[in-house]
Amino acid sequence: MASTFPAFDILPTVIKRLTLLCSLFLVIPAFAAEDETRRALDKFFENEVRPILSNRCFECHGEKKQKGGLRADHIGYLKTGGDTGPALVPGKPEESPLIEAIRYKKSDFQMPPKEKLPDAEVAILEKWIQLGAPWPEAVGGGVVVTEGGFTEEQRKFWCFQPLANPKPPQLSGNWARTEIDRFIAQKHAELQLTPAPEADAREFVRRATMDLHGLPPTTEQLASFLSDSSPQARARFIDGLLASPHYGERWGQHWLDLVRYAESDGYNADEFRPAVWPYRDWVIKSLNEDKPYNQFVREQLAGDEIAPENPEVLIATSYLRNPVYEWNQADVRGQWDIILTDITDTTGELFLGLSFGCARCHNHKFDPILQKDYFRLRAFFAPVQWRDDMKLATNEQKGAHQVQQVAWEKATAEVRGKMAAMVEPHIEKSVTRALKRFNDELQAMVQKLDAERAPMERQLVNLCDRQLSRARRTFDALKSIKSEEDKAKYKQLEVELKTFDTLKPKPLMDAFVATDVGSVAPSTSFKTRKGEQEVAPGFLTLLEPGEPKIAPMGSSTGRRTALADWITRPDNQLATRVIVNRVWQYHFGRGLVASSSDFGKLGEKPSHPELLDWLARRFVEQGWSLKQLHREIMLSATYAQTARREVSGVALNIDPSNKYLWRFNPRRLDAEQVRDAMMVASGELDLKAGGAPEDATATRRSIYTIKKRNSQNELLRSLDAPSGFSSTAERQSTTTPTQALLLLNGDWPLARARKVSSRVETVDEAWELVLGRPPTMRERETADAFLSKRLGGPDKPPTVRLRTEEGPELFREKTEHERLLDQGNVWEGDDFSVEALVRLDSVDSSAAVRTIASRWTGGKDSIEAYGWSLGVTGEKSGFKPRNLIVQLVGEDENANIGYEVVASNLRVELGHRYHVAITVSCAEHSVSFRLKDLDHPEAAVQTAVVAHALKGKLGYGASSFVVGGLSKRSPQHLWDGAIEALRLASGRLSEAELTEDASRWNNALATWNAKGGVGEFWAWSGDGKSTESADPRRQAFADLCQVLLNSNEFLYLH
Amino acid sequence: MSCERIQQPTSRREFLQSAGCGFGAVALAALSQQPLLASTTALNPVAAKIPHHRARAKNVIFLFMEGGPSHLDTFDYKPLLNELAGQRLPNSFKPPLTAMGEGNAPLLECKREWKQRGQSGLWISDWFENVALHADELTVIRSCVSSGINHAGGVCSMNTGSVFGGRPSLGAWVSYGLGTENENLPGFVVIKDSESTVVNGVRNWGTGFMPAVYQGVEFNAEGVPIKYLDNPKGVSNDRQRDKLDFLAALNRQFGETRSDNTELEARIRGYELAYRMQAEAPQAVDLSKESEATRKLYGMDREETAVFGRNCLLARRLVENGVRFVQLYSGAGSKWDSHKGIEKAHSKLCRSVDQPIAGLLSDLKARGMLDDTLVIWGGEFGRTPMSEAGDGRDHNPTGFTMWMAGGGLQGGRTVGATDDLGLYAVEDKLHVHDLHATILHLLGIDHTKLIYPHKGRPERIDQNEGHAYAKI
Repeated sequence: MASTFPAFDILPTVIKRLTLLCSLFLVIPAFAAEDETRRALDKFFENEVRPILSNRCFECHGEKKQKGGLRADHIGYLKTGGDTGPALVPGKPEESPLIEAIRYKKSDFQMPPKEKLPDAEVAILEKWIQLGAPWPEAVGGGVVVTEGGFTEEQRKFWCFQPLANPKPPQLSGNWARTEIDRFIAQKHAELQLTPAPEADAREFVRRATMDLHGLPPTTEQLASFLSDSSPQARARFIDGLLASPHYGERWGQHWLDLVRYAESDGYNADEFRPAVWPYRDWVIKSLNEDKPYNQFVREQLAGDEIAPENPEVLIATSYLRNPVYEWNQADVRGQWDIILTDITDTTGELFLGLSFGCARCHNHKFDPILQKDYFRLRAFFAPVQWRDDMKLATNEQKGAHQVQQVAWEKATAEVRGKMAAMVEPHIEKSVTRALKRFNDELQAMVQKLDAERAPMERQLVNLCDRQLSRARRTFDALKSIKSEEDKAKYKQLEVELKTFDTLKPKPLMDAFVATDVGSVAPSTSFKTRKGEQEVAPGFLTLLEPGEPKIAPMGSSTGRRTALADWITRPDNQLATRVIVNRVWQYHFGRGLVASSSDFGKLGEKPSHPELLDWLARRFVEQGWSLKQLHREIMLSATYAQTARREVSGVALNIDPSNKYLWRFNPRRLDAEQVRDAMMVASGELDLKAGGAPEDATATRRSIYTIKKRNSQNELLRSLDAPSGFSSTAERQSTTTPTQALLLLNGDWPLARARKVSSRVETVDEAWELVLGRPPTMRERETADAFLSKRLGGPDKPPTVRLRTEEGPELFREKTEHERLLDQGNVWEGDDFSVEALVRLDSVDSSAAVRTIASRWTGGKDSIEAYGWSLGVTGEKSGFKPRNLIVQLVGEDENANIGYEVVASNLRVELGHRYHVAITVSCAEHSVSFRLKDLDHPEAAVQTAVVAHALKGKLGYGASSFVVGGLSKRSPQHLWDGAIEALRLASGRLSEAELTEDASRWNNALATWNAKGGVGEFWAWSGDGKSTESADPRRQAFADLCQVLLNSNEFLYLH
Repeated sequence: MSCERIQQPTSRREFLQSAGCGFGAVALAALSQQPLLASTTALNPVAAKIPHHRARAKNVIFLFMEGGPSHLDTFDYKPLLNELAGQRLPNSFKPPLTAMGEGNAPLLECKREWKQRGQSGLWISDWFENVALHADELTVIRSCVSSGINHAGGVCSMNTGSVFGGRPSLGAWVSYGLGTENENLPGFVVIKDSESTVVNGVRNWGTGFMPAVYQGVEFNAEGVPIKYLDNPKGVSNDRQRDKLDFLAALNRQFGETRSDNTELEARIRGYELAYRMQAEAPQAVDLSKESEATRKLYGMDREETAVFGRNCLLARRLVENGVRFVQLYSGAGSKWDSHKGIEKAHSKLCRSVDQPIAGLLSDLKARGMLDDTLVIWGGEFGRTPMSEAGDGRDHNPTGFTMWMAGGGLQGGRTVGATDDLGLYAVEDKLHVHDLHATILHLLGIDHTKLIYPHKGRPERIDQNEGHAYAKI
């Protein structure tokens, strides 16, 4: 773990310090031989000046403390100055702030703060500056300050040096396959390390597939690699992986970590961000298309300026929307400041690998980043405006939408006018209430005409408007209309308005993007002791002291384009090194610079500086192609080494942490890799790409799992997926008892283990499915011992796989077969289909509903009761007897709990065999029914489509999925008769997909087939008692599979 | 990330060897003023560690009144408030930024009866009659200041020192710095008084950029204490044991040729710990053997105090069982937030915690645990002297009260003061950063040396801004 504190690293540090100290003393004689004047000046300094500085200044402006960012213990620091700029100008005491301060002329600028210096001391310091502020080098410890106030040491620091043009070293031996290897081999030779043997095919294939796809290799992938004996086998294999769309899904995750991507706001409300996912898809797509990295960066920083009309580029500016945010924050100005800070900090570390954030309040303590530089960087983002009014659509799409919208508006003008007349005054009141929460200054800004607002005011008003428009949007008309008569009238108008829905255009996708507030930027300034200092956009003073030329572009300032241009300059030594180093890190588990987001003094130095520069140059030369870079790295002998090599000999003494790559680094899988691999083993992984995020109960790849900052998926969180608050350059790899409890006892991992076990009959098959290889002899023995202990004797695979019993399709009260409980924890969401082959033998004598299938407690007024049921009404039902109905409990349009009976008015005859099918949709607000009497093939198929008003959350209740009853035993709701087969599928199955032939029911979340027996996924519940799947062999195999899913081999690449 | 990227010895023995000279190396690390922390603990990052200086307290029980309890009606007596009640805030006060922004609301009188309590004569209102019996044990800090003006920022700040998410919580820093005394239980436990979510959710006891081993684990007050602690339905203990033995056997075979990867060994250990936790955690929170008298002491016999009383008793049990840091939430989901009708809302909440807290202090004392245990009471902020909605008070992060007891503190004392109306802290201001530093100080940790390296920055709990109030 990188994160533990390496106390024993102190030893080398101590030694290093000692050496530094020694060399420092050795320098002294070199300066002793100076001329007379120099000696006199030195003497003056030593005897007169230095004691004053030391007694009066160093306490607050020395090595330990630097109040106001100022150090006074070397002339270099004094010349560079602190937050307010240089402290002195040699030869010019009148222009030196130091003198101004010690003279105590101004009340707000006096040093030392407690007491004025004696006049004699003031005079000495004046004289000293007058003399040119001489400072004997020996005292300062050899610090040389160059132009601009930076020390020579800072200027010479490795990461600020231009990219070198190293040639791959020439070496003897034939280990090296590529140029990369020659750099690595040279270090090996220097340190007398020897490389590890090549990984075998299985290790290599699993590594490469996990690396590029985040998925375990399929049997076919392994076989194809094994069968390719040509020298190009590896290249072909890697090219194949790079060409697959899964590549973007794995490497996109790395980028999402870096940009702190999340699908909610953070803070307490943690509001969902419904329109951010197209950015995630853009990242994936860009990587899959091998979009040149410079373009990838430019689009994120300035897509709105580069191609404002192109939705595929515009969406990249979502990058600017990733900060945490709180929609109801009354301190709008404070929040905007925080947002800009967040964007600045992230941009600095993400693209430039520097901890810019440290320089917000003072000059950086360790790196040459001035406080001014921090605000120069921030100034690029100062004009940013978060936009809610834009759509992700081409101009044609927008045009077509507009035409239809106008038609709808025209047709509905009258209805809407009437409605508005009824509620507008109420809405205004509610908006005014929201407005009053802001302070007077903000209220005044809101009430100004837009044209009169300064740019900054526009930005703040934009944030205020988000709150005001929300007050309007969430306004509940029916609650505010008082008289029943008016309510009825309003409802009637709503119905009337709905009749025009056919005219309504399909809504365009909201664009979660940003632009500039206009072509003029609000000013950027920062506080210094002398007051606010205004700054223009600019880069690191050390590298680019001047101000870049920036030309407005249309209604934008052009600032971010200028920044993007600089970052993506081929000779930008920071940005190019940073990205190739990140790629290296994700491949090897450690960057050439281990601190991949901090190239500064507190970060680590590159292990192979020449290789880093060579890669950076090469990367740019090859058109900023990430795929080329992957290829180059993965085809190296360095990458091909095995991870299975123990630390010993030279390596143990010199490089136990494998900095110099004498083997491949072992790694634990990332959270998403673990979750996805579990679903691969269970055969459930849905490889559908892109689109809106889904709940973690869905079986899609983890990158498509909803990512809310405050309520992360517990499995992913437990395995160290970042929560999206700040840029994450490197995942942690933690092991905690609570993580083990989740993996052992949690419902989700258990259900996966059961599914895996349902796919295997032998130990060998289990090993193949989970670990992709057969067990060793010893492992087989261990597994057999486990099984035979559990089964009380050696395991015998059943000869007949399917169990048959008499009348297994029958559901009867007061028997062992009352209801079937789902054991697979399926989750169908708000749009789903159910079809079944059923026969009903009786209906309830009162009004209760005999249930075919449900996810429902039977309750109507708590969140736990959210759910649904499909069944047939009883004798005294208000919907008449034998009516096929669906009951829904979910969230209605007003986010209240709603309960609805959706009756088909299709009648079910007792004793007949039926094919029943329903599709429930909350998106479409409808349920469609289909009923076919199988005993009377001549009878027509009966259908009905019935509307309902619920919006969703049917699956949020406490119930599980049940066949033949409700989740709690409720005798009058039990099915009485046969349910031969049933399937539950997510989404709305089309007419064509529905079939009475149960053997063709693929594509289901859960299927029950009486002929197949209960298996691992169902458990009968009878007479109030429920039992787990009773087959001890199934249980034992489920446990075995669970153990394999928890094994180190499954969780590690080692 | 790769396994063991930073040089780590594979065992304690190897560490001592490779560091040169056995104990000397440890001493060197101590002398060089670097925290030992996780360095010796490649295998076990939560092993108990040596503090920087002699600790006054070993454990913490943090009673978090979520939503912001009014200091003006409990522990900070302001006679002037009632004299000026109904008038506007005098012009001599800087107009505060309030969360709800009700401008110029009149001052709201305090309806409490105040008395001087104990030998020390601390002023405590009648809302805490029972806690008042322990007045001579309390150190009341009347000059607390926070940066968070709303609940999200305030609660996050009180827990992590920052109004934004992403930083480790106080309990995590303590776990990181001191480790745990009982590895079979988490070192940092959180218990809420209802199902409601604490503002910001679980990240309040998260570890931010630190590894998850230091995170707080939420205990349910009733039933199974930790999520997934029980075996899955229908799985007997034997069956669970068999599974774990099988897993350990496979993992050991896998590890034979990979012995230098300490993470593999740590995982084997993680599952064993989980199994032991399954046995030990329910026992630690089993209150069935507590006497009737004890239950009564905590107010568990009365409906209004039963919930928090039980949680306080659980806190004592957990500390007794070696849990380092226990945080109890009262009013989870901002229930102490009394923008209107403060009289009614606070009356009820104070009643629900007064007896339980007093019982906790008595019990800890009677068992000789109070000297080792630092009890902290407070919320994310206090409330304004000005009214809101007529009979409520708005948030006040600019001056509010917290108190501490036990942990070797002298008691019967106050620290700092607010102005005459209790709006701003004016004397010995203690920002949340200072409070955190002070709490660590009492635990024997110099907060300036408790460093976690992250992204090349030496991170501290106080973001380099806090000072321990050593005079405490």
